Amino acid sequence: MSSVFDRTASAITGLLLVMLIALLLLGHGMPVYLVNLAGQVMCFVLLAMAVDLMWGSAGILSLGHGLFFAIGGYIAAMHLLRTAFAATHVLPDFIQFMGNGGFPGWWALFDSSLFTALAVLVVPALAAFVFGYVSFRSRVNGVYFSIITQALTYTAMLLMFRNDTGFGGNNGMTGFHAIAGLPAGGGDAGVLLASLATAAVLVCLIGGRTLLASRFGRLLAAIRDDEPRLRFLGYNTLWLKLVAWCLSASVAGVAGALYVPQVGIINPSLLDPALSLEVAVWVAVGGRGGLCGAVLGATLINLLRSWMAASAPLLWPFVLSLLVLLVVLALPNGLLDMRNRSRGWMHSLLPAVGRPRP
Amino acid sequence: MSGSAIAVAGLTVAFGNFVALNNLTFEACYGQVHGVIGPNGAGKTTLLDVLTGKSAPRQGSVHLDGTIDLGRMTEVQRALAGIGRKFQKPSVFEALTIAENLDLALRVHRNSLLREVLARRADKDAAIDRLLQTVGLADRRDTLAGVLSHGQKQWLEIGMVLVQDPKVLLLDEPVAGMSDEETAHTASLVQSLRSPDRSIIVVEHDMDFVEQVADTVTVLHEGATLFEGSMAAARADHRVIEVYIGR
Ligand SMILES: Nc1ncnc2c1ncn2[C@@H]1O[C@H](COP(=O)(O)OP(=O)(O)OP(=O)(O)O)[C@@H](O)[C@H]1O
Ligand SMILES: [Mg+2]
Repeated sequence: MSSVFDRTASAITGLLLVMLIALLLLGHGMPVYLVNLAGQVMCFVLLAMAVDLMWGSAGILSLGHGLFFAIGGYIAAMHLLRTAFAATHVLPDFIQFMGNGGFPGWWALFDSSLFTALAVLVVPALAAFVFGYVSFRSRVNGVYFSIITQALTYTAMLLMFRNDTGFGGNNGMTGFHAIAGLPAGGGDAGVLLASLATAAVLVCLIGGRTLLASRFGRLLAAIRDDEPRLRFLGYNTLWLKLVAWCLSASVAGVAGALYVPQVGIINPSLLDPALSLEVAVWVAVGGRGGLCGAVLGATLINLLRSWMAASAPLLWPFVLSLLVLLVVLALPNGLLDMRNRSRGWMHSLLPAVGRPRP
Repeated sequence: MSGSAIAVAGLTVAFGNFVALNNLTFEACYGQVHGVIGPNGAGKTTLLDVLTGKSAPRQGSVHLDGTIDLGRMTEVQRALAGIGRKFQKPSVFEALTIAENLDLALRVHRNSLLREVLARRADKDAAIDRLLQTVGLADRRDTLAGVLSHGQKQWLEIGMVLVQDPKVLLLDEPVAGMSDEETAHTASLVQSLRSPDRSIIVVEHDMDFVEQVADTVTVLHEGATLFEGSMAAARADHRVIEVYIGR
């Protein structure tokens, strides 16, 4: 296992720190759309890291992390709707249409920011625990596990589309008034959220890499290499996988909770299997394992997408497919492979270059 | 300790219509090295699969120490109860170094996964170093297991099982792919592992190796015992010659 701060990780950590400091010092002077772009990309980066935590280390591919992302997002939205109501005394439309004269009683729990923050961490992990316990215990592995995660998200999407589920149906929840006291949609709230998202990415990168370099990380690598062997050494791999899986779900939940206030709305489209599938593409393009590839892949693809959304939105699916093909053919482990490949290419051109330094 | 380590009675294992083990009765005792030989497909590996919980029998019972019913235990529980196994196909964690492989294999907190995960590396180092000497990989401590040769992987996996100090040691073809010199080394290692508190079961096709290390041998054929006795007697037995040695 590589160390916590190899060259790539140090470079990425440095860039993120610079970005965080720039946001905090200069953010209020920056164009709002730029701050928002940075904040949203950081949320996707966090989501990609959550997927890589399972896929890159334990070899377990989730195609359903949109579920945990959305759970975090819905929880954040519930908090924001409650605080909006406290300020304006106007009920959200969907609550009025439900005809009960107000919020369901239990929503009052989300008046507390602390409770909301805890719920964002715990509820996705609980959902992951129930699903993970059942699947891992019945030894559902590999592609079967991936397909079931995808089906789970899809089911959740159908459920949330229904108006009587109570979360706004296909219109979703919107109409946030203020975020931590700052007007929703304004520049200050944008800077706050983008800074929080960047900080979360930093914490997750450093914490996650520390975890992966520990014995726990080596046990996950052992699960990927040969899970039965690990069992015959007396490790109940069920619990090892569950811990990683729940942790990964929590990270995705945080990502969703920071994302939704930035875009000002949540609706079941976050549960669309296509989003969950795309996260796997970000990680694959960046390179699996060690979380750095997830940061790179999610950043580059989302920046490219946002740029193309303005210039040539219809071309985007083709560009994405092309990118995937190129990576699969030229760089089987994603952009991280470039480090090794470029050394190899240079080596063949100029034998003196790229030789490992003594 | 002496007496029955592993006792198998009336064991039948079937895959669909194919019967891999047929009403097999088998016993291995503490303080002994028990050889299991037989032609390809005789059911040798399947027997180890049942002992370790990888395959479930259709019928029959498997007991540890004469009283503990292994049939009720999971693979993990059996491993923790002291059944260690080296697989026929070398199974090591290729993405980890040799020392890291041994670090995972060495359990210092058998009844707590959490404490095992949090155990200090220093607590394991002495035992790992000793094992590295035993299996002759001391100078390759930090080499990735994936780059080892077939023979070296066999050694590493034997080391991973030994570091657990198992009371029942199952070796499935431990010298396959080894040179004569390595085979001799493995034979003396197995001899040195004999202990009144340990039962060793060796599955092997190399007759000379089995003759060197085993006290008794069981010859399996089509899932049933064909012969039981000393290796020298097995070599002289006409049925054994017919189905196995003579071919
Ligand atoms: N999981 C399984 N599913 C179907 N058939 C199996 C399975 N495992 C083993 N078999 C069959 O059972 C028979 C016994 O296999 P086993 O591996 O025990 O043989 P063996 O004595 O170890 O042979 P070898 O010396 O080649 O290793 C073989 O015919 C094999 O094909
Ligand atoms: Mg076999």
